Amino acid sequence: MKENKLTKNIIKQISEYGINEKDILSVCPADLSFEGEYILGYVFLTDKYIGICKSDIPTGYTHFFRGTKVHKKVEEEDLAEYEITLYDLAKTEHLRIERMIGAVLLSAEYDGSPIKIASMTNTYLEQINLFVRHTKNIKNGKAFDADIVGKEAEEEDEESLYCPICGTMYPDPAKKVCPKCTNKRTILARVLRYFFKYKFSIAILFLSYAMGAAISVVWPYLTGKVLFDHVLEKDNEFLARFGVSGKYVLALLLLALVLIGSRVIEEITNTVQMALMARVATATVKDIKTDVFSAMSRLSLNFFTSKQTGGLMTRVLTDSSRVTDFFIDGLPSVFIHGMTIIITFVVMYRLNWQMALIACILLPLLVFMTVKLRPGLWNLSGKRHRAEKAVSGKANDNLTGARVVKAFGQEDAEIERFKNPNNNLKDAEINIVKLRNKFTILYSLVQEVSSIWIWIIGVFFVLKTDKIELGVLLTFVGYVAQLNGPMNFFSRVFRMWSESINAAQRLFEIIDSIPEIVEKENPVRLMKPKGEIELDNVTFGYTVSKNVLKDINLKVKEGEVLGIVGRSGAGKSTLVNLISRLYDVKEGTIKIDGVDVKDLALSDLRKNVAMVSQDTYIFMGSVAKNIAYGNENATGDEIIRAAKLAGAHDFISKMPDGYDTIIGASGKDLSGGEKQRISIARAILADPKILILDEATASVDTETEKAIQNSLKLLVKGRTTLSIAHRLSTLRDADRIIVIDRGRIVEEGTIEVLDKNEDGIFHKLNELQNKSLAAGSSF
Amino acid sequence: MAEELNTFEKEAEEMTAMHVITNKDKFERTSGGFVNFTYDGVKYERVKVVRLFPFTDADKYISIRENTDKAKEIGIIENLDDFDEETKEILREQLRLNYFTPVIQKIMSIKDEYGYAYFHVMTDKGECKFAINMASNAVTKLSDSRLIIMDLDENRFEIRDVNALTQKERRKLDLFL
Repeated sequence: MKENKLTKNIIKQISEYGINEKDILSVCPADLSFEGEYILGYVFLTDKYIGICKSDIPTGYTHFFRGTKVHKKVEEEDLAEYEITLYDLAKTEHLRIERMIGAVLLSAEYDGSPIKIASMTNTYLEQINLFVRHTKNIKNGKAFDADIVGKEAEEEDEESLYCPICGTMYPDPAKKVCPKCTNKRTILARVLRYFFKYKFSIAILFLSYAMGAAISVVWPYLTGKVLFDHVLEKDNEFLARFGVSGKYVLALLLLALVLIGSRVIEEITNTVQMALMARVATATVKDIKTDVFSAMSRLSLNFFTSKQTGGLMTRVLTDSSRVTDFFIDGLPSVFIHGMTIIITFVVMYRLNWQMALIACILLPLLVFMTVKLRPGLWNLSGKRHRAEKAVSGKANDNLTGARVVKAFGQEDAEIERFKNPNNNLKDAEINIVKLRNKFTILYSLVQEVSSIWIWIIGVFFVLKTDKIELGVLLTFVGYVAQLNGPMNFFSRVFRMWSESINAAQRLFEIIDSIPEIVEKENPVRLMKPKGEIELDNVTFGYTVSKNVLKDINLKVKEGEVLGIVGRSGAGKSTLVNLISRLYDVKEGTIKIDGVDVKDLALSDLRKNVAMVSQDTYIFMGSVAKNIAYGNENATGDEIIRAAKLAGAHDFISKMPDGYDTIIGASGKDLSGGEKQRISIARAILADPKILILDEATASVDTETEKAIQNSLKLLVKGRTTLSIAHRLSTLRDADRIIVIDRGRIVEEGTIEVLDKNEDGIFHKLNELQNKSLAAGSSF
Repeated sequence: MAEELNTFEKEAEEMTAMHVITNKDKFERTSGGFVNFTYDGVKYERVKVVRLFPFTDADKYISIRENTDKAKEIGIIENLDDFDEETKEILREQLRLNYFTPVIQKIMSIKDEYGYAYFHVMTDKGECKFAINMASNAVTKLSDSRLIIMDLDENRFEIRDVNALTQKERRKLDLFL
């Protein structure tokens, strides 16, 4: 949210302090008091002061958060009386942003003692960051130009943060999609596009539906009016039209043949329908699944860590078939059944309009019921989906953690814990069934009543007046019964529609998710990589409120072996994740061979940066395929050589199927060390210019580690290597070592230099490891 | 050699030791709105006050930490109620801002729109409109009836007891229960 201007009212009030509008260099809203109440407030910066103006919120004030504010062309009048505090910029030192749980605090040292300057909700975190940067620039007397230009650009941008249709702020400024204006109709149109591919099949499908509908309209007419009023009544005038005047038995026979014929045609169309439906449905389900899967693969790592995998599985698997349910079964039926109803009414009206009116009298009630109950169904089906997600998430959780569950003897407790989401699912399911039953019962009731109604009125007409004949009555009864099917369908179709659109919405959400890591247009190709890495003031955090890396400056020369040391959670893995651009930096730049990684072609980057990480991943497939992952054309020779270098050849050749052994999900189980060696072999075969070893030898025994160390020595030749290790002995051959602590580089140099600094973390770690080794061996 | 090993052991011990703060230890309010703390004769300036069980037991197990990057723990308050009113108020002052979480008292509307849900609620701090992302786990169920809702910027809102809401409001929340 950007609110980087003071209101006219505030400017008037601060002018009493001799501050004019043009003196104000930076502004950030400060919407919280130190007591934890919402207030109206701003911090502003001039070249002499940091100023704070605060005022209580007026009654009836609504606090807006990101994504909810509606853009107004005219600024609302601000009548509040502000309390203004000015801090002398010269006396203010150590301006700091402290992140709280739901708030941000701006603190500083004023005249030597710590003070709170202002606090605000997380909404303004980005803006206060900018404010502090501005302040630091002013204090350091640095050129302010760059940021000033930035500020003006931001102001112009402000319009583009709001949806042009409804004026509401976009929840995600990068995506510029207004959730309120993406209505259900566009979702429908998008789904229809999937079916458009099969237009021929769909046309035939429609045709066969139409045939079925036609027969269902003709049927009551034949069995009622024609049979009773014409054939059985020996209506020669009518029979003459078909040339069977007087030949009653023949007429009856003919009618029977027509009836049989229409039944046969109905069956044929049914068969065609089923076959086509199966084909189109499965094909579109496949298409949608493919789209979702490829969209998911494109997405950045962040997406997967922020969602439960179980939930994603439901999306891909069940949602895609739910979408097609409505479109294959429902949508054509809407037309056909709609047509049937209309034609039936027309025919009924032509036969006897009074009877038709009587038959239709209860219909508005049906329409009313559907309209009334539809929103409830919508909500309930969404709720069921969430319950389903929770159940599959829980099951998934337990399957992957089976070992821990068993080791702690928690099987029964887990079964107990599973009961809760499972119960919720049951309840959600029951609620849906309940509502649906209520609906169906009411529906059937109305239908039954209307058909009894027809009988009573009809019989009355037949007996008491000469208005209608028996055949017409029978036809009417047939038609009203005939209407049951389509009417019933319309009561169901809303459920199908809501489920399908809900599912489609969830799928499109994935397809529409924009990967955070995107390749630039016309990216720079890395043709002859050297492997130089340069980090310039890199700051990064996985969430807005916590930076994992702060102001990292680092240069790695071509062919250098750099060791990275630090406590767990210090930010080592994060650092290398940034270099291979699994995430994008928040501030600063990372350059490879002098080119910002954001400008590089992703394929080149991935090809030239290989990572062996602490969590190894083995794909389903043979050992050879696993080693050649990402390098399909590797020869057997190359694969064996890579395996040898990684110290994997021995154990692979001992397996009965050798390199063809199927490993991964369903295949042979490998030990942690074996998996690790296979991933090292994978990196070796990839032959990257930059090799990242993230605890690559953490789970192999000392002997194997030694063997791998030796091969790595060969491997690192001509490559830039970044090696993260807890065991310092792993880094013996590093040219240089950096020590990271709490997101900053705190020590840097060769092993010898670092070890000499007795207060340093490296020295301490080294001592500790040597000691514990010595202590261990003395037992 | 043995001596050096001892220092490491001491450090390791220091890391694992648990210090309990009693009402004999002194907390003082500073003029800048922070808290100073004296423990074991050592004075720590503007200490950090951290809840260890912010949801289940907000007033028990409060960790007092140094105001450094490392934020080393000085000690743990086992129960805030063991302290006198003044100290309690000094510490609560810090906690109020640190754990700023408005409590939702009334739900005016919740609209589910294409991946986002728009909330319009009345909280103990005033009327609020915020949006959440439906795809991320924005709603955390602390128990069957207690929810923490996080908006797009990780601002927090809490529903203490779903059952205390009216049936109508609960129906709006149905999506998240």
